[in-house]
Amino acid sequence: MASADGREECFPCRQPVFPWYIRQFDCGQRDSMSETLKVESRELRGKRNNRRLRARGRIPAVLYGHGQDPVSLAVPAEQFDSMVRHGSRLVTLAGAVNESAFIRECQWDTWGHHVVHVDFTRISAHEKVRVQVAIELRGEAPGVKEGGVLKQVLHEIELECEAADIPEKLTVSINDLGLNGSVTVANLALPPGAKVFEEPDQHIVQCVEPAEQPEVEEVSGEVEPELIGRKREEEGEASGS
Amino acid sequence: MALMPKRVKHRKCQRGRIKGNATRGNRVVFGDYGLQTIEGGWISAATIEAGRIAAQQYLRTEGRLYIRVFPQKPITSIPLETRMGKGKGEPEYWAAVVRPGTVLYEIGGATEEAARLCFNRLAHKMPVQVRFIKRRPL
Repeated sequence: MASADGREECFPCRQPVFPWYIRQFDCGQRDSMSETLKVESRELRGKRNNRRLRARGRIPAVLYGHGQDPVSLAVPAEQFDSMVRHGSRLVTLAGAVNESAFIRECQWDTWGHHVVHVDFTRISAHEKVRVQVAIELRGEAPGVKEGGVLKQVLHEIELECEAADIPEKLTVSINDLGLNGSVTVANLALPPGAKVFEEPDQHIVQCVEPAEQPEVEEVSGEVEPELIGRKREEEGEASGS
Repeated sequence: MALMPKRVKHRKCQRGRIKGNATRGNRVVFGDYGLQTIEGGWISAATIEAGRIAAQQYLRTEGRLYIRVFPQKPITSIPLETRMGKGKGEPEYWAAVVRPGTVLYEIGGATEEAARLCFNRLAHKMPVQVRFIKRRPL
């Protein structure tokens, strides 16, 4: 896709992309966000076939779980990117297989532009799953105005909840966070029935005083790191002679 | 003092080749925003330190800077006006080997605008082309 100033940019992240990626993103409008994915079964496997699949705008995927045989699938890249951007974790697969699935793992390319492979697990809506959910900070901390630095310790948290209740993200308000204050896991507003595995006193975000810059020691002469094994050799030579 | 290892097994090493893209260290992990290389190369300890100072001077107390690379490779050179031969030169400096896609620095606790401006200053110090990235979902 091209931006207003004519540069080619990646659709999901709005970052400029290299010419060899452009062909995958000039295919027009995306579908509106939908939680139903049209999947095709994938007969051909291997690196070469999967590269061809990606060039055609499909992502190789696999579906497994519930003690059934794994199924190789191909999902439309545009639709899947859109779902990932909106934070969907639960999808309904339609086409080659008709069942609900949970996005267990998503592999990205080096640049974070494209999803390279997806792992789906079979799931029912009331089944409990363990999932990593992003933590988003909202508001402005008064402690920052007092000269503090905001330090987010946890960016994601592992939750156990029903598949239907997986939140897109957990928001933490920092409007009351003063200097030397913190928000802990115990302060999180969780969805009903959800369980966290972190300690309740684990910090999520802290407002701390800025660390002082350590004074740089000027070392005269050349400094070389210690050589592993040299001391032993020298001792051995001394004892031998 | 610039970064360098405390202990090494060998004083000198061969130059090596940089092949392929980074498959590790290519996403934002500690902060919210990152500076990712789009070229491979060697980044000297002095350059890493220069980048840190440039970023710290801009950020002051606003956010936190994370350095994601470490100079582990000793780079040797032969002094000027020296005849060829007589063996390999002496270690001159330490460098980090980066593949395209490696995240060099990260910033946490600052606004996107501040992080962009900070990385813009920092990018001018780098010997490789870099780009601004954010933490990604999933």
